[in-house]
Amino acid sequence: MSLENIFTNWSQYRKGHEEGGFHDYQHMWAMAIDLNKCTGCNACSVACYAENNLAVVGKDRFEKGQAMHWLRLERYWDEPQLEQAAGSEYQVYGANFLPAMCQQCNAATCEPVCPVAATYHTPDGLNAQVYNRCIGSRYCSNNCPYRLRYFNFYSYYESSWPEPLNMQLNPDLTVRDKGVMEKCTFCVQRIRAAKDKARREDRSLRDGEFTTACAQSCPTGAIVFGDMKDPQSQVAQSWQAHQVELGKTEQHKKNEQLRGYRVFEALNTDPCVMYLERVREA
Amino acid sequence: MKSRNDMNRRSFLKMMGWGSAGVALSGCDMPTTVTLEEGAEKVLPYVTPEEFVIPGIGVWYASTCLQCPAGCGIHGRVREGRVLKVEGNPDAVINAGGLCQMGQAGLQVHYNPDRLRKPKIRKGERFVDAGWEEALALVTEKVAASGGDKIAWFTNTVSGHQAVLLDAYLKAVGSSSLYVHETINNAVAQVAAKNIFDDATPVYAVAKAKVILSFGADLIGASDSPVGFAKDYARFRESPRGMLIQIEPKMTLTGANADLWVPARPGTEGVVALGLANLLIEKHQVDPAPLSDGLRRVIKQYPGTKVSEISGIPVETLQKIAAALKAKSPTLVVTGQYAQGHAHGYQNVAAAMALNVLLGNVGQTLLSGGEFPFPQLLAKRGNSRDLLAFAEAAESGAFDVAFFVNSNPVYTAPAYLKFKEKLSKIPFKVALSLFEDETTAHVDVILPLASYLEDWGTHVAPYQPETKTVSMQQPLMEPLYPGSTRGLGDVLLALLKDRLPEEYGGFEDYYAFLRGAFDALPADYKQGMDSENFWRSVLTKGVLEVPTGDRPLTAQVETVALPEYEKNTEYPFHLVPSARLGLWDGRHANLPWLQEAPDQIAKAVWGSWAEMHPATASRLGIQTGDFVVIESKQGKVEVPVYVYRGIHKDAIAVPMGQGHESYGRYASGLGVNPLKILEPVTDQKTGELALMGTRVKVTRQVKGQRKNRLVRFGGSETQVGRKLVATITADQFNRTEGA
Amino acid sequence: MPKSKRMINMGRFRMSAVSACWRGAASVFATSVMLLVGLGMTGSAVAEVPNAVPPEGTHQGKDVPQPILFPHNTHVRDNGINCMYCHTYARRSKVAGIPPLSKCMGCHTVIATDKERIKTLTKYWKEGKPPPWKKVHDVPDYVHFTHEKHLKRFVFDNEGMDVDRVSEVCAFCHGEVREMTVAIKNKPLNMGFCRRCHENNGGPSDCWACHK
Repeated sequence: MSLENIFTNWSQYRKGHEEGGFHDYQHMWAMAIDLNKCTGCNACSVACYAENNLAVVGKDRFEKGQAMHWLRLERYWDEPQLEQAAGSEYQVYGANFLPAMCQQCNAATCEPVCPVAATYHTPDGLNAQVYNRCIGSRYCSNNCPYRLRYFNFYSYYESSWPEPLNMQLNPDLTVRDKGVMEKCTFCVQRIRAAKDKARREDRSLRDGEFTTACAQSCPTGAIVFGDMKDPQSQVAQSWQAHQVELGKTEQHKKNEQLRGYRVFEALNTDPCVMYLERVREA
Repeated sequence: MKSRNDMNRRSFLKMMGWGSAGVALSGCDMPTTVTLEEGAEKVLPYVTPEEFVIPGIGVWYASTCLQCPAGCGIHGRVREGRVLKVEGNPDAVINAGGLCQMGQAGLQVHYNPDRLRKPKIRKGERFVDAGWEEALALVTEKVAASGGDKIAWFTNTVSGHQAVLLDAYLKAVGSSSLYVHETINNAVAQVAAKNIFDDATPVYAVAKAKVILSFGADLIGASDSPVGFAKDYARFRESPRGMLIQIEPKMTLTGANADLWVPARPGTEGVVALGLANLLIEKHQVDPAPLSDGLRRVIKQYPGTKVSEISGIPVETLQKIAAALKAKSPTLVVTGQYAQGHAHGYQNVAAAMALNVLLGNVGQTLLSGGEFPFPQLLAKRGNSRDLLAFAEAAESGAFDVAFFVNSNPVYTAPAYLKFKEKLSKIPFKVALSLFEDETTAHVDVILPLASYLEDWGTHVAPYQPETKTVSMQQPLMEPLYPGSTRGLGDVLLALLKDRLPEEYGGFEDYYAFLRGAFDALPADYKQGMDSENFWRSVLTKGVLEVPTGDRPLTAQVETVALPEYEKNTEYPFHLVPSARLGLWDGRHANLPWLQEAPDQIAKAVWGSWAEMHPATASRLGIQTGDFVVIESKQGKVEVPVYVYRGIHKDAIAVPMGQGHESYGRYASGLGVNPLKILEPVTDQKTGELALMGTRVKVTRQVKGQRKNRLVRFGGSETQVGRKLVATITADQFNRTEGA
Repeated sequence: MPKSKRMINMGRFRMSAVSACWRGAASVFATSVMLLVGLGMTGSAVAEVPNAVPPEGTHQGKDVPQPILFPHNTHVRDNGINCMYCHTYARRSKVAGIPPLSKCMGCHTVIATDKERIKTLTKYWKEGKPPPWKKVHDVPDYVHFTHEKHLKRFVFDNEGMDVDRVSEVCAFCHGEVREMTVAIKNKPLNMGFCRRCHENNGGPSDCWACHK
């Protein structure tokens, strides 16, 4: 970001997302995750490990909370909207699962606090993490309300991939060194490759042409990934059907029964991941 | 001054007086070092590349996943001759593009640093590396010196043309000693289905059902087809939304997704089924005509109050379940090992199937498995009675030579079976395996197999939906250890060539055998293509659809005889060895991704734990993380505890999969193997090992070993008042999103 | 050399930002100096690729010994072979690709078979092993560089540009390969080199376009 650029566009930048985004977004990658279909099987998380060169940290470091699962599956036992008596002897309903990955917030709380601007918003609507620039202050992960940023406390490349496990590493993205923050990128390497391919064929991207590793692996198809700027895309139609809009801290739906919601929306993060409420026969 | 290129960023900043503080240098064109030295790396071009290979762009090949018997189709992404990623094959009927975590972790089987790379021959206490010729010569020599049933094969699930070659070899040596073993199986239900429906593998139309009542069937977790059922489950949950009721001793992954989760006292699932039948007939006027007289008399003996007393399920809950089963149609009743794994497991299944018959599900959601046109390709399905029978035969000295293929019975066999000692009665043993494990430690020859990502084969999945396919397996890259590992098909062929050179000598390798088999397919399969194009088209798609004839299901439940519940004061608890989508039966304990992937229910990693109910925990004065000793008459294990309400008060659940003594660096020193302390209880009707039939006592262990401590995925167990996962009712859902 | 002049040498546009770092403000100063610089610098006299401003910067590359002393000059200058005939993947992949041995042998089974170097080449071919070339032009693993996009911009989608003249575009980053035997790196290929060219030619400035 050159200084000249900032001075020219300052007022646009300052107004920010309230006016629909300071960028002229080329794409707006988003997800819709249906918790009615999510079974909590964890296939998405392991697929992410395979795709993104995530390090396995082992028992001791896992205990310290230093695991590198960019996509983690939260499991909760309570179901506040239904009346499962807290004092009941057994779980009446099962468990609740929440696949949580970087929400690619349009008003990301991690972006303004990086001392070296290693994290910023791309013209694709993604929250980018530039590993080279990161100096490891960890202010960004401190500021993330979802706690979805992960820090490389160790040089995992030294021990996590003994030969020939290192042959599995994906060459489309780096293996991160100690001192660098990382997080879900919505498989930006796949986005990049798809855009290159579309450019090669002189056409625009098609919905469903590619998807993220987690969405591709999900056995129930609970994760839907796509471009919000494409009104025909499945994800845009899902957001529209559930009357959830970007750029709001509170949704005012015509039909309050619609299941779509965003986590911690009221914190003004403007996430690009919409969840559809879980359903139970009650 | 130094050349700009000699300076790196830090020294430049120092020179400028900024040190290494994080000053915002955005936009500054600071000269960076040319960070790469010329000539430091080699770049090797191809010699003669395939036409479609472009360096930098991945090529995708279709194959089959062999991480569990489900046989899902996969697509492998290959870059510069290495397979990097595995995805589900959208054209595969079973999984339609989805893939579970075990399938994703298949890469770590292939690239595992602990893979066997050379054949080994035992010399006294140790193994020495050997060549294939030497090893095979020794094997064929020992086989030639014996014959008939004294040559035994002990395998995991085998199907397709590998099964054809295996059968041919057994026939060639005149042996019928084939033992197929899987710890996680549906064997009791298969026998019951054969007797009741005249079809051992009926199709469960999960997507069609409106209510599913599952007696411990972990359909989307550890089942015959986890991803297949998950696909159906997604459709099951669309509007009009189906209801899932799960009755089991401890919460499985499927149970976690249930609308109504009901813990029944372990073993009483059959009683509950009969009680529900009673309620349906007496309270809901369901016509009992489909049931036999004998069965109707038995059902009359299980009114709701009695069933509630036996099972511990409140009467209101039983009534709620019966009402749900009556309200919507069609329904589906399924059973899993939690219900099957008792001395009366068969009776539990029969009772549950009686419910299916009563509710009219036969032909609606319980469908014919069809007649597979190539019976020789059908899967040899694993069970545990083969394990027991093998051990018994070995002890009596029945075998001269035993082959072990992709199986680890020394690990999975309960301690009471004394499997290791019985093995020593077999003079010569051969293991065909990818890894050194507890079983290979006791054999005489180890033949290292190729991983499934670098081998040829065909597979017929044991459980398939209505459309049946033969699944293709092709190498996704050149062998990692060319010449030192061989595919299973190639090894079988080599043994056959030695035995029947005229018949099999003409095949150069297993690939040639497969080509020959596909060439010989009837013309209507080939759709007018010549053999080369047909072969390519099948490999591209990854599956070959085969038409199956229909065999209508019968519905003959004669009667059910359930025992009285036994109280045991010395060993008051029921041990529930649980299987999970992850480590499975222990075969995946050497894959770091799966060790690090938290258990879906307890969220624990890299170890074992015991799940117990808060009532039990408070009685023992323990909380999550404390250690207990779980002891049966056969032995004991020591584990930390996870306390939650998703388990019956009388049950203690310990997951299968850990406690390996030798299985590589990632599995070593982790957790315990609950299978070891199982009692010698078998199902009376089928002879299957009753996994859930062991009674234990639990005592507090004041100090456990630190290395076995419970490490769980952090985070909160509850949402603490934040809207993280919100829930709406099915009524609301059907109204807003209904068709 | 006085500090300010050294700053100027580092690039036209970035200069403004640098002095801002130093002084903390002073956009006025930046603009005026920028004008001076703009007037001072002119393009060098090479064959003009239309719609393109060639990147600036040079590097003194070291001689990298290769298994065969491959003469680019013979092939390109003397025999007029197009870069993409051998480095075919440039138009459709990230990497331009070192040609597979079969491409060399396509000619050299019959051409110049008496020469020493061809004999060495043929030996590799007979053994079925590729010559172990050393990589001269490389970028760090964390950089995503696609040849095809650059070729599209400067060659295929460039009005007035001919595929026959592709070597002029290749020369932007690889230098005058037509005069070399084996390749020598004579452009720095560091981030500043790439960024300046992107600024001048309207390429993406998004970090994630190039940083993996």
